[in-house]
Amino acid sequence: MSILTIVIIVAVLFGVYFVMTYNTLIKMIEAVRNNQKQIDIQLDRRFKVFESLINVVRKYMDYEQSTLSKVTELRTKAQEAHAAGDEKSRIAAEDGISRIVGGMSFVFEQYPDLKANQNALQLQEEIVSTENKLTFAKQACNDSIEVYNAKKKSLFPSVVVSLAPSKLDMPFEYWQLSQQTVTEQENYRVEL
Amino acid sequence: MNQPLNEFEQHSSDWRKSLRMNSRRTYFVIGSFLFIYAALGFLIDLYLLSAKYPHRPLHDYASALLSFSVTPTATLVLLAVAAIALFVTFKFHDKLMLLGTNSREITPETAANLQEKQLYNIIEELRVAAGLKYTPKVYIIDADYMNAFASGYSEKSSLMAITSGLLNKLDRSETQAVMAHEMSHIRHMDIKLTLMASVLANIMVMTLDFFFYSMIFGRRDDEKGDNRLFFIIILLRYLMPIVTVLLTLYLSRTREYMADAGCVELMRDNTPLARALLKIQQDTEQNAEQYNSDYAQTPHEDVRRSAYIYDPAQAGISSVKTLSSLFSTHPEIESRLEAIGFRKRQS
Repeated sequence: MSILTIVIIVAVLFGVYFVMTYNTLIKMIEAVRNNQKQIDIQLDRRFKVFESLINVVRKYMDYEQSTLSKVTELRTKAQEAHAAGDEKSRIAAEDGISRIVGGMSFVFEQYPDLKANQNALQLQEEIVSTENKLTFAKQACNDSIEVYNAKKKSLFPSVVVSLAPSKLDMPFEYWQLSQQTVTEQENYRVEL
Repeated sequence: MNQPLNEFEQHSSDWRKSLRMNSRRTYFVIGSFLFIYAALGFLIDLYLLSAKYPHRPLHDYASALLSFSVTPTATLVLLAVAAIALFVTFKFHDKLMLLGTNSREITPETAANLQEKQLYNIIEELRVAAGLKYTPKVYIIDADYMNAFASGYSEKSSLMAITSGLLNKLDRSETQAVMAHEMSHIRHMDIKLTLMASVLANIMVMTLDFFFYSMIFGRRDDEKGDNRLFFIIILLRYLMPIVTVLLTLYLSRTREYMADAGCVELMRDNTPLARALLKIQQDTEQNAEQYNSDYAQTPHEDVRRSAYIYDPAQAGISSVKTLSSLFSTHPEIESRLEAIGFRKRQS
């Protein structure tokens, strides 16, 4: 009798624990998904901002007319890679856009006329803000993956995960650069 | 550019550890508060019971209460009062925070100049970093002194305010660090927490006071409770205000450390916050006289004091005075810097 009672109590406790852990993990998974979409949103926003930015800059100088088409080209490449599920080449393409933009801030510094122009200043603020948002979106995504991974791998929650792996075990990948890009970036120096 | 930080050695900052440590401290404070609250209710119930059924040993009353064979009326009443008080405060406190200041809201549409637009951008960026669902409302307070605070009980009702002095004197990343600190207060629900603690503390002190006076003036011989309990209540009446003040201050300081760590978590860089804090301190010390009168002319400054990023009382601004002026709501700037990885050079 008393053994049966203990078994029932333990079973009920485990049931409660299972439900709670299950719900927490589902919330975490959806948070990661939302954060991944947030990166897409920010990438999309960046593209639109930069389009208008390049148009303004063009009025002031003969800054490489091809820049816009280069950005567009990289953007298409990124979108195609994304559609094909090839995250690595997508990241590489987006990284290419970042580098062009980095160069553009440098151009701003070299043209006092441009620097003094109120519109240009606003656009420069837009560049900084846009890049920040993108970086923060990636950071938030990686943070939520970290929280999720730590939870699902730690003891006891991992037991729950093993009971419903198709729902709870998601192989999320951290947003990161390829090894080759990392080496390139590390060796990168500004030449003056 | 790093000038204010010249006297400091920079280390990396382990914000995860800082967050963990301070959230443990918070549990400790909240635990003690609940314990004291329940103990107080228990004590009063004991006293009432001993007045009602005199001449029994104390442990009889205690076991009767603990086994619920007698309803612990006082404890229940205390809990109800606390619940109502908390509800009312949460309902109206949002609007209280901006009381007496000359402030205006900033939205992307109403941003008058690049600076205001930038402020809004900064906050939107941080919202993305923090993964909040709503962007907090942003207010600029027209004042020369440098300070900022956050308020609100949920993401939806949250607001952040920053003085124009701070906006003018800090660069973009420093402003962002200050706002990241405030954003962390919102994420950690600090406003709710500290307010809850102070409301509970006030109720405790008020209850003790009420009970104390009703015992002194209302004691009839036939309704006399246990004398030992009476002395405990007298003792508590003088001790409890100090204990609760110390506890709330400890809580507030803990949450400041957590918000600093949260700022580093969002920015992944500890330098901007360190620079901002030092700039605010230096600026406040340099203009102490002027700011003193500025703070004094702003009514209801005490409402905001513990919410500010920088406690003006630390720089000797004496117009901001409450019962707790003896103790600070914020840790020393140097301790805060050390917690985010800046140690003062020994020389």
